[in-house]
Amino acid sequence: METVEDFLAHAVALEEDSAVRFDDMADALEVHQNHEVTELFRRMAHYSRLHLAEAQKMAEGLNLPHFKPWEYKWPDAEPPETPGMDATHYLMTPHQALVMALDSEKRGQAFYADLAARNANEKIRALAAEFAEEEAEHVALLETMLAKYPEPSDDWDEDMDPPAAVD
Amino acid sequence: MDVPVDPPVYTAKSYKSALKPIWCPGCGDFSVLSGIMRALTELQLPPHQVSLVSGIGCSSRLPAYSTLYGFHSVHGRALPVASGLKLSRPDLTVLAVGGDGDGFSIGGNHFVHACRRNVDMTYVVMDNSVYGMTKGQASPTTDPDWPGSKLTPDGPGVAAFKPLEMALSAGANFISRAFSGDPLELARHICEGIQHPGFSFIHVLSPCVTYRPEQKAWRENVHTGFAEPTDDRREAFLRLLDDDAFSTGILYKGRAGAFQPSTEATTTVASLGDQFAI
Repeated sequence: METVEDFLAHAVALEEDSAVRFDDMADALEVHQNHEVTELFRRMAHYSRLHLAEAQKMAEGLNLPHFKPWEYKWPDAEPPETPGMDATHYLMTPHQALVMALDSEKRGQAFYADLAARNANEKIRALAAEFAEEEAEHVALLETMLAKYPEPSDDWDEDMDPPAAVD
Repeated sequence: MDVPVDPPVYTAKSYKSALKPIWCPGCGDFSVLSGIMRALTELQLPPHQVSLVSGIGCSSRLPAYSTLYGFHSVHGRALPVASGLKLSRPDLTVLAVGGDGDGFSIGGNHFVHACRRNVDMTYVVMDNSVYGMTKGQASPTTDPDWPGSKLTPDGPGVAAFKPLEMALSAGANFISRAFSGDPLELARHICEGIQHPGFSFIHVLSPCVTYRPEQKAWRENVHTGFAEPTDDRREAFLRLLDDDAFSTGILYKGRAGAFQPSTEATTTVASLGDQFAI
């Protein structure tokens, strides 16, 4: 990542992808009548869109480069704040949903903190430090929310009418 | 005076219908849906110029979740429908989707001949080695010793179908394997598959979290086995001999031209009749 435009293109993609994924997960949980988690995922998507709007505002007047989805320089296969779709479960609890969201925010924070520490471009370092600080606030907020939801019991995924194999 | 009009810009939302998928949360098929949307966005294909054809099964519900012209066809018959569509409307981008049971068992013969026929379309198979919609029976790609179904308590006992080997033998012009847990790479495969002439086969390892929960471990098993595509069939076969079924990447990009007969009539009923005149 060499220019501020590169950086902001990544920031926009990161938040956009996160918003889309949280919405997709909310849709999936809504179909399975898990309304509490649906609501939480919708809120996460909303927060991501707010952050997306901030990043887009910072990019106003700049000519951001177009990257193909697979050309972005992410530490892993997907943007760091995008929660893994395979971690969802139709019976998952708000606690588990918040842990998932918290992990996403922590990965986002680490991504920006790493750029702030290592990137060669001074402007990118400064912007990344600002973004990392903001992500740290989100992490703290989610930790506060998480404290309000108890850990699920061991039988959280017990289904009285499970989708059992029928032969 | 004509006013210049900017070309429309399509986003992933342009391809997404209002219908919410009923797949189990955690299902790999969500990522395939997302991969298709990303690929189409990248290619900026107008939704009305793309058709998505499927067979029957969990993954075959996919057309309903898109704004593309969809055809949810008969079990195992996505490929003949898609072939017919492409041959009669070569201007359309045609995608076919389905699962391993639909594509390799019920539609197995169509798969072989679609590869051989090499019509310019892209076939995405979401393989979870199980019949999920009918609640968990062994499929053609299930390991012979899988004991998870009461129908086959000691496992199906027959060797698993090898989709990539079959596609290469039969003549597919583009062959790749992707993992649903890596949706950006999957989007690249779909993009390249659409752009490559002829029949493109994209084999997607797409875990079933309900009937094969152990497939969550696939994330640890997958590895880039096909770093760069080859256009040499011999080389591709050699790579497949070393394949552990978890190698991902674009294996093969052939140079064969797509099969596309003229859509114009080459004769008339009258002249055909003349040939039978005594």
